[in-house]
Amino acid sequence: MGSRIEILNEAGFRSDGRRQHELRDLNIDLSRHGEADGSALISHGLTQVLVSVHGPREAKMRSHTFHDRANINVEVTVASFSTGERRKRLRGDKRILEFAATIKATFEPVIRTSLYPRSQIDIYIQVLQQDGGTLQTCINGTTLALINAGIPMTDFVCAISGGVHSTSPMLDLTTLEENDIPHVTVAVMPKAKKVVLVTMETRLHVDRFEEILNLARDAGSILHREMKEAVLNRSISLVSTAGPAQLREKGEDDMNVDY
Amino acid sequence: MISFTSFPTQPEDAYRTVRRYNDDEDDAMMDLDDENGPSSSKLTCPGETLTSSHDYMRGHGTYVDNDEVIASVTGTIERVNRLVTVRPVNSRYNPEIGDLVVGRIAEVQPRRWKVDANSRQDAILMLSSVNLPGGVQRRKLESDELQMRTFFEEGDLLVAEVQAFFADGAMSLHTRSLKYGKLRNGQLVIVPPVLVRRLKSHFLTLPCNVDIILALNGYIWVSKHIKQIEQEGELGFDAEAVYSNQNDRIDSSTRSAIARVANIIQILASHFIPLTDTLLLEAYEWTMEQDSDVKTLLQEDYGDALVAAVVSKE
Amino acid sequence: MASSHISKAESSYIQAGLTSKDPQRLDGRNLGDYRAVALETGVAPLANGSAKLNIGRNPHNGSGGTEVVAATKLEVETLEEGAVDKGRVVCTVTCSPAAYPHLSPNAVEDLQYDLTTVINQTLAHPSLHPGNLRIIPGRKSWLLNVDLVVLADAGNIYDALFMAARAALWDTKVPRTRFVQFKARKGGVDNVGKGGDGMDVHQDVTSGFDTRGAHSAADFELPDYWDEGEVLDGRDRWPICITLNLVPPNHFLDATTSEESAVPLKLLLVFSFASIEVPTIQAMRFIGTGETSSPELRQLIKEGQRYAADTFKALQSKLKAEDVRRNQKTRELFASR
Repeated sequence: MGSRIEILNEAGFRSDGRRQHELRDLNIDLSRHGEADGSALISHGLTQVLVSVHGPREAKMRSHTFHDRANINVEVTVASFSTGERRKRLRGDKRILEFAATIKATFEPVIRTSLYPRSQIDIYIQVLQQDGGTLQTCINGTTLALINAGIPMTDFVCAISGGVHSTSPMLDLTTLEENDIPHVTVAVMPKAKKVVLVTMETRLHVDRFEEILNLARDAGSILHREMKEAVLNRSISLVSTAGPAQLREKGEDDMNVDY
Repeated sequence: MISFTSFPTQPEDAYRTVRRYNDDEDDAMMDLDDENGPSSSKLTCPGETLTSSHDYMRGHGTYVDNDEVIASVTGTIERVNRLVTVRPVNSRYNPEIGDLVVGRIAEVQPRRWKVDANSRQDAILMLSSVNLPGGVQRRKLESDELQMRTFFEEGDLLVAEVQAFFADGAMSLHTRSLKYGKLRNGQLVIVPPVLVRRLKSHFLTLPCNVDIILALNGYIWVSKHIKQIEQEGELGFDAEAVYSNQNDRIDSSTRSAIARVANIIQILASHFIPLTDTLLLEAYEWTMEQDSDVKTLLQEDYGDALVAAVVSKE
Repeated sequence: MASSHISKAESSYIQAGLTSKDPQRLDGRNLGDYRAVALETGVAPLANGSAKLNIGRNPHNGSGGTEVVAATKLEVETLEEGAVDKGRVVCTVTCSPAAYPHLSPNAVEDLQYDLTTVINQTLAHPSLHPGNLRIIPGRKSWLLNVDLVVLADAGNIYDALFMAARAALWDTKVPRTRFVQFKARKGGVDNVGKGGDGMDVHQDVTSGFDTRGAHSAADFELPDYWDEGEVLDGRDRWPICITLNLVPPNHFLDATTSEESAVPLKLLLVFSFASIEVPTIQAMRFIGTGETSSPELRQLIKEGQRYAADTFKALQSKLKAEDVRRNQKTRELFASR
């Protein structure tokens, strides 16, 4: 199915005016939300996701606990108005379950679950708007929400989507582009320089794949910089009001508390 | 009465910039690594290398990979001799033995209660760790097991001390002191646990006839002041009073003082200001000087003014 | 909703405060006071109308509060023979699990089913039906979907849902449509345009229906206009919900979660203000256990109507202010280009 709109025109611009390797605007809001221990409202262009993290806390069902690590529970809800065509997806929808499983598998090795045996970490993802790159937005949002909740992780996880239009690789695809060209989503741990997730549902030539993977890695480190800055900015604003007492206090821990 | 406001266009403590990305990037990395080992009062975040593991030992909030000590949480770097830790800016309550906590009964199980204490697992309160009616030294009876709900039932709030840890990391509580036990005559305020520091005493009394229990897990109990005399003496242990669900008579001025203190705590917590006895007292006096209604404390500008006033005095 | 139990002592503390001669609430509000309500329209660019609403968010760090996002979406529906051709309204409430972190997934599902029932029964009622959902009489009409997502619940969810729905419906723009018809003549084939003048008819705008056997066929086109369309007909009518929490002899508005746990009985009153003098009750429902005598109920309805009128006026002026704000924003955006 051909689209009426050119994916990449002769001058090297994409349908929304971006260059091939240009990312969309990134918006991060880390302020507290509801009762969550940590939350993040993140948008890549028009794709917007709210992630809330609860825990580590007592597992709701005892059968879901492990004696040596925390259980990670990911639930994804997609607002039915998030896409161009209204689509009601129920909780049991196969695609959503698979989507949640992908995110869980991405974060399981990164979160230091062994510190919290028998606990549960709930990650609730609410997709509010979709314009391509839903998975990348969910992963980046989850990283930020987990960090915001103070849950130990070995590294950031930064995800980005990429695709190839004939032979030209492109990054951070919109829905329009996702519908038209083969695309992959890559999640990287920028510090450890490891790739933790690659998903692809379309066919892609091996040579192109390597090219796009390298590009995605570079883009991941750029996203890392932005996300880190967001985290640090928020922390600075919190710590500044908390004052220097926070630093001094640790030494007094072993002091007997007199009731 | 109803009034509408707008969502702030730019949340104050949020990072919101609109940026364009180009193909070529500049390499302006933020430099957090200190060559001479970890320095204090610096912020770090997961994945940042702090120091070499040959010279330092890893503490909480860090892990070792490839001979490097790396942060696993966002927070301030601290160093005590050779031990490097990262204290998280925000996290759930991390219990230590001797801590004072306020918890809510989540479940009644055979010979024990499970207590929600804002930690990574529910705390455990054993039937053997509470004072039973009829004297402290009394033996536990089978009938006690059958009437556990007469002591504590689901939803009840209690104040207790962390006694020990189980093998799986769950904390065990005890209420074997007259200061501990069921909570009545007031309301609960929940704040981030990092805002409650270890103090000389976590039982505060404000001159306005209000008691505050600043529990380390961030559950703060604000209630009517109970005179000390009524509590003293082991013999004076009155099971009926200790496990009662009945509130005392609370007059209108005490009630509004409790509401005022609760609102003050909310304001300070929303500005992420650690709670101390002096700060709470100053804040209370400031609002009384303003001669303001309790509900004016809900307004944003009033809250900001309060914070500005008490923080400048510090 | 009661996401967590509260103790008997807390519950009686709250009740004693509410029923005393000089009633007092945990946060110092008066019985008739709402927490501050933050509202923004036009939050979902892919919807025909949308709004985000938060009751009681912390003014400084934005945490807490009951938060709802509402969005409307119009879909073209092809009608079957004999169906009502005025279009349909369908409301759905979804609860984010983050709003009820203590409930099991099944309990959340039950809850959203209950909320959907109340909202849908009220808003989809014929007496509120907008008049401009018809596209082609007897053949095609708009299906108006109202989707509400609960992002956080800190009490008083019904009032929040109705207010958010009202704001989104107020914001909804129905695309203008033009009716195009084809009729087979005895002699030959010709296209006749109705609804516009004959000059506007294009043969290729209609979808590829087969005209060979049919004597007539009709479809519509979307003409390009500078705006997104017209507002819903009768948008002033969309109702306001007032939840009266009953603690005889008093009642109070906008209960927080713990107040809801302490007060078992509440009365939902839904008023529509087609004219401000003669509002109509669109729905009424007791939630919880307890009873009220009928003279008391009459009194409650009267009071409820007064509150609803206040809320209606405040919401109306906020919605108009939002329209102005967004027009201004658009203008600035164009100016900066």
